[in-house]
Amino acid sequence: MTGAESVSAELTVEHEHGLHLRPAAEFVRLAARFTSRVEVVNLTRGGGRRADARSLLQVTALGVNAGHVVRLTATGDDAPAALDALTALIRSGFVTEA
Amino acid sequence: MGGVSVGLVLVSHSARLADGLRELIEQVAQGRVPIAVAAGAAEDSLGTNALAIQEAVESLAGGDGVVVLLDLGSAVLSAETALEELAPALRDRVRMADAPFVEGAVAAAVESSLGSDLEAVLAAAQSARGQEKLA
Repeated sequence: MTGAESVSAELTVEHEHGLHLRPAAEFVRLAARFTSRVEVVNLTRGGGRRADARSLLQVTALGVNAGHVVRLTATGDDAPAALDALTALIRSGFVTEA
Repeated sequence: MGGVSVGLVLVSHSARLADGLRELIEQVAQGRVPIAVAAGAAEDSLGTNALAIQEAVESLAGGDGVVVLLDLGSAVLSAETALEELAPALRDRVRMADAPFVEGAVAAAVESSLGSDLEAVLAAAQSARGQEKLA
């Protein structure tokens, strides 16, 4: 991997159910559209545990509730696009188009 | 989404357990994943039934393969018996997951909903084995 770009963002999850099952599934499906690796950390709770955005079980185990702050870090060729898409999904309240 | 997806068969000693899990994974599958249940034994008693498992797998034969999830290890014998009865062409596209029932099914459902192939869906189910719940 030469020149793999890494970008990150911190944002608050406003969705009333946080990153629970259904919203987390939307998040994972969107992350899978990109080749970059995306890590998720719950900065509010979770002791620095990192979740692979492609793993629903890892993402749900972060215990992200409404109002928690998460950090997303994307690394790879399409990292900026992946980060934009995933942060937009969280900010939208997990409303997705087909 | 071009073709069909990898289907999931939920094998449980309890019909209510399997139906509850089906309800849960339909939340993440969004109608993109064929799901069949083979649960309970004769006359509503607890147990597993090889014929029911065989029929559940066969009901998903039109998909891109089938991953079978089991609630307990004591379902393995019934499931193996069922798979032996399948036509070889179908049998080649069926995998039994060595995975926890709930987490394995949820992970497999998400992976299948992405249009992933049989081995990827099986790997997703089995990735649940080492997944911790508590931080």
